[in-house]
Parts: sequence; C-alpha cells; structure tokens
Amino acid sequence: MTATHPFADETSHALQPEVLLVDDDEVNLLLTSLALGERGFKIVQVSSGEQALSLLHDWTPDIILLDAMMPGLDGFDTCRRLRLMPGYERVPVLMLTGLEDDASITRAYQAGATDFFVKATQWGLLAGRLHYLLRASRTRIELERSKSKLARAQDLARMGSFDWRRAEGGLLMSPEALRVFGYGPQEQVGLRALLRMVPQDDRRGFLHQLHEAMRHASVLATDVPIVLFDGRQRIIHVEAEPEFNEQGQGIGYTGIVQDVTDRRQAEDKIKQLANFDSLTGLPNRRQLIWRAERALEQARRMNHQCALLLIDLDRFKIINDTLGHGAGDELLVEVGRRLRACVRHSDQVMEGTLETAGVRSHRSLEAVGRLGGDEFVALLPEVQSDQDAERVAQRVLESLREPIFVSGQECFVTASVGMAIFPRDGNTVVDLLRNSDVAMYSVKAQGKNASAIYSPQLAGRGREKLELETALHKAIERDELVLHYQPKIDVRAARMVGAEALMRWQRGSQLVPPGDFIPLAEETGLIVPLSEWALREAARQARIWQQAFGFADSIAVNLPSRLFERSDLVEHIHQCVTAFNVPHRVIQLEITEDNLMKELQNVIPALHRLNEIGVEISIDDFGTGYSSLAYLTTLPISELKIDRSFVRDLGITPQSSAVVTAIIALARSLGLRVVAEGVETLRQMDVLHKAGCGLMQGFLFSRAVPPDELQRWLENTVLPRKAPWIGAAGDADSADPTGVARSAGGRQQR
Amino acid sequence: MGLACTALPMNQATILDADALARLRELDPDGRHGVVLRVLGAFETSLGRMLVQLSAQGGLAGAGTPAVVASVAHMLKSSSASVGALALSRACADVEQTVRLGTLADLDIQVERMVCEGEAALVAVRAMLQHKPPSE
Repeated sequence: MTATHPFADETSHALQPEVLLVDDDEVNLLLTSLALGERGFKIVQVSSGEQALSLLHDWTPDIILLDAMMPGLDGFDTCRRLRLMPGYERVPVLMLTGLEDDASITRAYQAGATDFFVKATQWGLLAGRLHYLLRASRTRIELERSKSKLARAQDLARMGSFDWRRAEGGLLMSPEALRVFGYGPQEQVGLRALLRMVPQDDRRGFLHQLHEAMRHASVLATDVPIVLFDGRQRIIHVEAEPEFNEQGQGIGYTGIVQDVTDRRQAEDKIKQLANFDSLTGLPNRRQLIWRAERALEQARRMNHQCALLLIDLDRFKIINDTLGHGAGDELLVEVGRRLRACVRHSDQVMEGTLETAGVRSHRSLEAVGRLGGDEFVALLPEVQSDQDAERVAQRVLESLREPIFVSGQECFVTASVGMAIFPRDGNTVVDLLRNSDVAMYSVKAQGKNASAIYSPQLAGRGREKLELETALHKAIERDELVLHYQPKIDVRAARMVGAEALMRWQRGSQLVPPGDFIPLAEETGLIVPLSEWALREAARQARIWQQAFGFADSIAVNLPSRLFERSDLVEHIHQCVTAFNVPHRVIQLEITEDNLMKELQNVIPALHRLNEIGVEISIDDFGTGYSSLAYLTTLPISELKIDRSFVRDLGITPQSSAVVTAIIALARSLGLRVVAEGVETLRQMDVLHKAGCGLMQGFLFSRAVPPDELQRWLENTVLPRKAPWIGAAGDADSADPTGVARSAGGRQQR
Repeated sequence: MGLACTALPMNQATILDADALARLRELDPDGRHGVVLRVLGAFETSLGRMLVQLSAQGGLAGAGTPAVVASVAHMLKSSSASVGALALSRACADVEQTVRLGTLADLDIQVERMVCEGEAALVAVRAMLQHKPPSE
C-alpha cells in the first residue's frame, strides 16, 4: 500500500520533497510514482482517500496529489476533510483528474485544493507544477512566519500599522494597532472614536496637524496624548505617509502607531536630571546658564537690563557639619522653596517658543536655580534699575529670617547676595556670574547677611585676592615658603630648650608675613599642603641642627585643627621624621586654644595617637579662648602657652598678672609645662619668672629668624652668655623667697 | 463476454501505440527496473478486472448502471492512454462524456465499443507480456 519509489536516493532525503500520491488506479499510481520518483520526489502512495487520511495522522508530506475521482471517499471529500485536520490548513494539495470540465475545477478549489492538474503522461509538466506549488508553499510559510515575527515585534514595540482611505472613509487597523489603543483584535474602530481618546486640550491641535498634513499630502509624524478606557494616560507616536492613485491624487494614508509613553517618560526624566537639581528640584547650573543666555539675547534685542543674583548661605558648612548632611539637605530644600517664592519662578521654559510667544516671553526665563552646594542664583530677565534687583535681594534675605526646622531643631540661616546687572556689569553670563560672585564675597567680608551690587572697586580687591591665591598655589612648587624659628628659652638655665617654627613667604624680594596669607590659605584649603610642607621642613631642620650643634629638643609647628582631623597626620609625621632620621619627639605640635575647643571631639583621637608616638601637643594662645577645665585634665597635652596679650600687660594691669598667675598655677597642678609668649622686656621676664614660669619666647631673646641666623645667635649670644637677660633670672631666683620658681622650673624640666 | 467484437481491428501491433510505449520505456531506459512489464502487468490486472466487472453485470441492459459504467470508463481512460491503448482510451472518454451529458441513447453502442477495445487491448498486452523482448 505504501512504498517509496526504488529510485529514491535515501541520502538526499532532506532535499527530496515528500509527496503523498492518492489514486485508485494501480496503473496511474505506478506510473506517476515512477515518473516523479525519477524526478527527485519521494513518493508515498495509497489507493484511497480513507487510507490517505489515516496515514496523515502520523506523517505530514510536503505536498499531496489527490485523484479526484475515486470509489468511496473521492478526492474532493478527502481534500475537504484533510483541510479540517490540524496542521493541514496550508499543505499544498494538487487535484489530479481526467476530467477537464469547469465544474470539477471549481469543485476542487471549493474543496480546498491548492491547484488542479489534468492527468497526462507529460510527467515533466506535473513535476514542474509540483515544484511551483512547493515553492509557493515555502514562500507562503516564510511570509506567514515573517508576518508573525512582525506582529510579535510590533507587539513588543507596542506598535501597530494602519491604513486610512479617504474615499471609503475607513480606518483599517492591524490587531497590534488596536491593542495600542486598548481595543481587542477583532474590534471595529473608527477614526472618530480614536480622536475622542485625545484629551480635549490637545485634540484641537492634533486635528489641525491632521488637516494640514492632508491638505499638503505631507508626511505626518507626531506624538499624541490619549486616555485609555481604564483611565491610563499614554503617549502615542503616529507616523504616516500619504498614498496616491494613478492620477497622483492623495487617496489616504498608511502608517504606524506606537505607544511611546515609556520612552517619553525616560526622555523627560533625562531632561529633568540634566536640567534640574535633584535635591531641590530647582533648575541646575546648566539650565540656569541656558536661561541666562536666552535672557541676555532677549535683553540685547529689546534693549533692556537683566540681573543675576548670586545667593550664598552663610555658615552653611557649620550647620552641615553639626547636624549632618541629611539635615543640611533638608535645609537646602527649604531654602530652595523659600527662594523660588521670591521671584516669578517658572519651572518650564518651552524651548523654541521664546521668540514666537510675544514680547514678554522672556519672563518665563525668570527662576531661582541651584548652582551647587549652598549657592543659588536668581535670574531676573528684565529689570528697570538696580532697585528692582535690590528689592528681590531684600525679599531673599527677608525670606530666610524665619527659622528653618530641620532634624528636630530650629536653624537660623542667613545669606549673602551679590548682584550683577546686564549689560553694565558684564556682557556674558560668565562675566555676570563672576561679578555677582565678587559682590557676594564683598558682603561676606563685611559681615554677611546682606546684599551688594557689583562695582569695579570690588573687583579690584577680588582680583588681588585671586592673584594672591594663584601665587600661593605656586609658592610650594617654587620653594618660596620658608620657616623662621623663634627660640624657646629656659631663662634660669639661660639656654634654648626648643624653637617655634613660623612660616614666611618669600614672594620675590618681599617677605610676606603669615597674617597676609595664612587666612587665605585656610579659606582655600591650601593650609593643608602648607602645613604638611612645614612638618617636613621642621624635621629636616632638626636634623641639620642635630648635626651642627647637637640639637635634641623639639621644633613646634602650628597646625590648624583641620589637620588634626586628617586620618593620615600621624603617618605623615612618621614619614617626615623617618626621612631625616630624627626621633618623633623632635616635632611638637601647637594648636590654638580656640581651634582645639571648637573641634574638640574631632581632634581628641589624633591627640592620643600623636602622644603615643612621642609627639607632644602644646596649646597656643592659652587664656584667650574658653577652655573647659574639665577637658584639660584629660587631654593628652604637654604644654600651655600663655597668650602674648597677658604678657604685654604684665605689670600694667593687675588683671594680667592675675590671669598669668592662675594659668601657671593651673599648669602646675595639671603637671603641664608653661611657656610665656611675647616677652619683650626684662621686667616681663622677671615677673613671669617670679610667678613660676621659666620658659619664655619673645623679642627679648630673639625674634623669629632664619635657621642659620638662629645658629649664629646661639653661638654668638647664648653660649658666651652675652645677652642682658642672662643672669637676670638667676638674680630673680635668689630673690624668690618662696622657691616657687625653682620648684616650678624643676617641674618644667621633667 | 457475450459481445460481438468482430468489427474491431485485431492487428495487435497497432493496438498499443508505439510512442506511448516509448515514453514508458523512457522511465527505465536500460530496463533494469522492469518498468514496462510492471506497468503492463498492472494494466492487464486492472483491465481484466474491469472487463469481468462489466460482464458480470450482464451488459448495460442488465444491472449495469450508467454510474458504474462511467466509473469503469474513467479509470480505464487514463491508464489505457498511459500504456498506449489509445482506441480504448477514446472509447472510455466517449462513454464518460455520454454519461456526464446524460444522452444515454447511444450508451449501449459506446459501451460495447469500449468492451471490444478493452478485450483487444488485453490480448495485445498479454501477447507483449508473453513475448517480452530480451531487454524487458
């Protein structure tokens, strides 16, 4: 019943189309089978429709040849039935018959046959027809796969296609397109229904676009907001091309619709992130500069002024450091909220509409933005005079008067506002920003919490400062910094017991005193590299002196508290002393009482670590700050330095003597050394010595001098005991009936 | 068979068309697969069975209905053309056409001719099968 033709080449099975041949005539069956087998087909033959259907349950041929006229189930019925079998809807069926009448041909097609072939012995024709049908079938399968892929891809891209014909007034949408609008695949939807999904505010504009496109038979590409039946809002991208008839008349449109909501949201988010400060939601630097540039363009065109206000919070760092960054952020958010209420703030500027939206369109540029940190900018795109800008500045200062509640407590924050007016104070945004910055700094310098308009005089001061800052940056690289040393003297023994290193800046031929550059260094952060350099230089000098005259004391280096907060300070000192092969104790650190107390909690760990490696700590300017005596008892410090102001007044005001005596007593009871600074006269020395302080610094002994000079001073003055102060202390000793000085001196020598 | 076929030509050489047989041979040029004999054998079996079927019905005047006759004619029409029994094939086509058109007046004569041509073809085929050439 079933047999493959003996000619069939088994090895080429994959390339051989498999044919099911159904014919009740044995002769035809045999002949057709032989002829097709010879032409490369693999034939499976059966002699009835029933057998064919039974076989097709287990196997699917590439093509079926059906004899139309057969006893029992004829070819037409067989075809009809197999078309109902799953998977056989599209298998090509060629109906073979000897009948040439039209009725049979029609019946064959009605039964679902793919084509019809009149039986003949021209086998080449039959084989050709089979090949054609097979190729058509493959093409069809590929087409269907491709269509299905396209549908899938469209589905994934939330896209669908549509055709619209003007004459029929009909809109034909693919199932995917229907889905984009929330419709089922079989639903009939008209253009009118879709338009109703566009919110009323946008509908008119969209209709206008549609009419314009149709009028000019142009391409339509636009995004349209719609509201789905479930209330969800989506953005639909519509892209369509016009279609024309033979006469070149527009007959309709064909195109796609795509749900681009996610993309639009992402784009909006990107735009938001690129243009707005994520903390306060205000325009960021980029957006502000863009707005300011547009405002300047408009101002130039329309010949008016505009103003830029730079608003910098005062003492924000303290709030941030004290309450933490979280509280700092909260505060900035609230400040941002208040500041935006001080101007006619517009969140959005419709790009491209500035020039078309009328003469007042630049007003939409007005905004408060955040430049970064605690710096804000208010852009006023049109002002009549300075007074307009000043009024806004006053509003800004006023808005901050109310306390801000953050982290469970009230904070009072003020701001310094610098203003620059276009075109007088600058022709570009950069110039205006710089000059408003100059004005803002002048406010800071004069006590903050106020506003100032830029003037060239301010810029002069600012420029000087800028130049100084630049030069200071280079001073370290150029080796322009030097340390001068002031000896610490033990007056009773008449010998040097250490030195304090004091920084000088050799700027060309000028020696710049520390008061002229240390504050700037502290402000700019340059104090850190400067101090690190000083530590290294002191260690180097200690080594030189050690080799020159057996120096075995310590050199005191003044450090700001922020250096003590650095975790690498101990390591840095270790590296400095190791590099010059001197002991750690050769470095002594001085921190002012003010600095120490302000940052007490932050510097205590460093003090302990330094103490552990042998670096002693001295408290400078003691008596001028507000030391907690309780802390003094526990801090790992070795020395107190009596501030020069008390020494200066010794013997003049009784209060000074009282303070000095109290400090000496305190130091003694705490077991600390005490050093008096700024000793200029023998009388001061005498009083101090009598009060029990034998360690001193001051012009009486030596001013701060370069290291070589100090060495000469030692050799020429101290060692030969030629100075007037030498011996005076000894006299004082003998005059001290209480023996305090000796006893104190003894303690100091420990 | 009961049917007089004396009027029909009995020249066996002309009963089977030479061109049709040549086309058959083309299917198996070197005769290795015995295609011609297999086809003729199948035709002989099929034709013999058809003739018996017609004879068993006692001719058209007996139980033979136009539908059965048309079915036989349809089947024989293409297979006889394939083996070169062209006269039989034509006779079958006429019978089939007559039944399809419903002009049954001439049917008896046409059936008789078909049977006679069938018998002649059968004889010719059998002769070929008995006197098969060496290549077959």
